[in-house]
Amino acid sequence: MTAVIEVQNLSKRYKDKKALDDVSLSLEPGAIYGLLGRNGAGKTTLMSILTAQNFETSGTVRVFGESPYENARVLSRICFVRESQKYPDDATPRHAFAAARLFFPHWDQVFADRLIAEFQVPLKQRIKKLSRGQLSAVGVIIGLASRAEITFFDEPYLGLDAVARQIFYDRLLEDYVEHPRTVILSSHLIDEVSNLIEKVIVIDNGRIILDEDTDAVRDRAVTVVGDAATVDDWAAGREVLHRETLGRVASVTVLGSLSAAERTELTASGLDLAPVSLQQLVVRLTQRADNPLKEEVH
Amino acid sequence: MRRILNVIRLQMINRQTFIWTPLIVLAGATVLSILVYAMIPVDTPKYGGAGQAPLWYFFAIGIGAMSYTFPFSQAMSITRREFFLGTMLTAVLASAFMGVLFLIGGGIELATGGYGVNGYVFYLDWLWEAGPLGAFVVYFTLALLLFVAGFTGTTIFKSWGLTVLTIVWVALALVIVGLGALVTKLELWGDVWTTVVSLGALGLALWGLVVVAALMGVSFLAFRRTVP
Repeated sequence: MTAVIEVQNLSKRYKDKKALDDVSLSLEPGAIYGLLGRNGAGKTTLMSILTAQNFETSGTVRVFGESPYENARVLSRICFVRESQKYPDDATPRHAFAAARLFFPHWDQVFADRLIAEFQVPLKQRIKKLSRGQLSAVGVIIGLASRAEITFFDEPYLGLDAVARQIFYDRLLEDYVEHPRTVILSSHLIDEVSNLIEKVIVIDNGRIILDEDTDAVRDRAVTVVGDAATVDDWAAGREVLHRETLGRVASVTVLGSLSAAERTELTASGLDLAPVSLQQLVVRLTQRADNPLKEEVH
Repeated sequence: MRRILNVIRLQMINRQTFIWTPLIVLAGATVLSILVYAMIPVDTPKYGGAGQAPLWYFFAIGIGAMSYTFPFSQAMSITRREFFLGTMLTAVLASAFMGVLFLIGGGIELATGGYGVNGYVFYLDWLWEAGPLGAFVVYFTLALLLFVAGFTGTTIFKSWGLTVLTIVWVALALVIVGLGALVTKLELWGDVWTTVVSLGALGLALWGLVVVAALMGVSFLAFRRTVP
């Protein structure tokens, strides 16, 4: 399958900080990607450069096989509404949606109207007077109803309540099934989006530390709980992501999946398997990248 | 081309900005002037500068177009070139609209003898000496010049920061003061005034259009690498 986005050795340096550090990625069409990482990890910078809103210091970016900068052919197939998106002074949501209708060739007004009702966006109020949640909803509606071939959502849930967030996840999935496209969803609420995303990209301090299918990621690690000495014996020689102890009980998360025989052996020696959530795994991988061989003792 | 025209539509989606607010400012300033003229007990024609009021608003729209509408245009997947050309075309149209309003105002003043109080806001002799078209060009140029100045200043600010913008302003001021000093030293003020008078308002306005073109060139170069 041809990649829709191809990034090679991309770096971005601000005065005193390396926002992106030698990033290489290849994104396939027709998948929902989760771009995960801490605040300031480089998620928005990466998306800004992919959409030619910002500029790389070095490296190359190809979107649909071409450079996106000043390229209307490429840009008209992309939608990226920022988390801190600015709107024209005195504009209302009605103005913003009317503009989106002008520029996105696949814009679906019926879908937009339905979303406006569901998110209860006040159409005639000035955007700068909207609450944080309503502001996020305006961006979410533009992202969904534009049906761009590549759609970026930059922390779209900020300020949205639980009901509105669920509406977003449901509509995104429904519409994605009917109109397959490439979606890149940046988030630090990992467990909330973990059922949505098919591929996981974890970025930390400007570096890509994970880029895999979500299912494969879930199988990448196991958490074993039990008597500290037994657990440590078992974990010896394995790559430990995280270790916690409470009294004589230890919980160790190690990289690697287990065969059926290994599972039986584990149970026989009195150890238990605990599920590794995507969030835990990402947090632990990030901690390991930030601070190698760190061990927490409670 | 269709996308550039769509940028004009984007700029015009909120008609408040380019049409209603300048109209309200102009109408308000005119009514205020008429009231003041009516209170002045002299029979000679009375002239005022209220007609310039909406022009300063164009400076503000120029700033807003760059600070707010440009970042939004990026979310609409518009290229910088499309946004720049569409926005400048919008400014040209809006400035022409101002020019037409100016002509209509002047026409009303002529027809009513200065609103019946012999007071003038638009029909200023010096501006109209080259006829209605000349007056149109003067007003059009002033509106466009202020818009482009606001847009260019904000572009420089966004691309290179406040320090560079300040340096540019100070440098411009130094050049103007320096030219003034030079003219004084060479005792050329007489020649300067003769030139200004012979150029007339229209001639000056045409030079203003040269300045507009130069500013557009500068802002386009700065704008190509601006980050929203």
